[in-house]
Amino acid sequence: MIGVQDFIGYYDWTFEYLRRTYGEEAVREYWGTCIAFDSQRHAVKLICEKGFEGMEEYWGHTLAMEEAGYAATRSEDCYRIDMHECPSKGFLLQHGLEAYHDYCEHCLGWIKPVMDQAGFVIDHVHNHRGQCVWEMRRAGAERAASPEVSAEDDVTRATNWNEGDHHEYRNSTKLK
Amino acid sequence: MAAGDFYFALNATFRFIHDRWGEDALVNYWESLAREYHAPLSQRSREGGLPAVADYWRDYFAHEPGGEVTVEATDEAVVVEVKDCPAIRWLREGGREIMPLYCRHCHHTASVIASNADLSFQLQGGGGTCRQTFRPDRSAVRNPKSQIQNPKCGGVAVA
Repeated sequence: MIGVQDFIGYYDWTFEYLRRTYGEEAVREYWGTCIAFDSQRHAVKLICEKGFEGMEEYWGHTLAMEEAGYAATRSEDCYRIDMHECPSKGFLLQHGLEAYHDYCEHCLGWIKPVMDQAGFVIDHVHNHRGQCVWEMRRAGAERAASPEVSAEDDVTRATNWNEGDHHEYRNSTKLK
Repeated sequence: MAAGDFYFALNATFRFIHDRWGEDALVNYWESLAREYHAPLSQRSREGGLPAVADYWRDYFAHEPGGEVTVEATDEAVVVEVKDCPAIRWLREGGREIMPLYCRHCHHTASVIASNADLSFQLQGGGGTCRQTFRPDRSAVRNPKSQIQNPKCGGVAVA
């Protein structure tokens, strides 16, 4: 049986299998259709129907279920997640697994299409060490300030934040 | 305990590969996964024999969310009796349309894992209740499709 306790290992392996068998574009299609709108249809429903409240509900449930080390903060116009210990990337690091060349990209790969449909844009940075930060804002609105985040919760102030290779997105567009 | 919502991703992944590239592609995916990702499990099963097989699956199902599974080991075989499959239960309770070939992943992955451990594998049942049997290779039948009985999950949409 393919269960869920070691799902992350299969998931990473699957990205690489799709890439080597069908090409990199197939991996993007997998994230952007299969994961976003089939697997995560419950997230789509919550976020499209309830906006920021739906994000709180979805990530509150799923990150608790995955036992993530994170902080979520919300203002009227922005929802922010500071991920201090990603359980997903953490599993791969802990078990020395890296089948696909950029596992962390899968989050943007499915969340961006969901946010596009729901009318939100994403600022995001990840460091490939199990740490990342997300800010979601309404698309087309004047850019809202980031919510107040305590120094303890702000992952970008963590002593090891600057380790690793950082990928950065602003307004759902990759900068580097 | 593992995050049960990952069953949603497994179900969606099987459907995606099947609908995009066909049934043979899905079987190839399962068999490749078993051959590559599960190579350490095959090695462990080959080295430890049936007791290692029983220990692995007993521990595995103990850490899946929910379900009811017993694992019995004799000198002749290991029988995994799935009375209430945790995956099928989670998908049904989550209101997901279960990919019609979902249950076949057990057959294809476990057949390859077993074959690479000098064991045979037989699956009877499906749809949330099945019996999975591992035996030493002397009784193996190499054509996997001849070993599966009632392989479909019913493919029912459940509210």
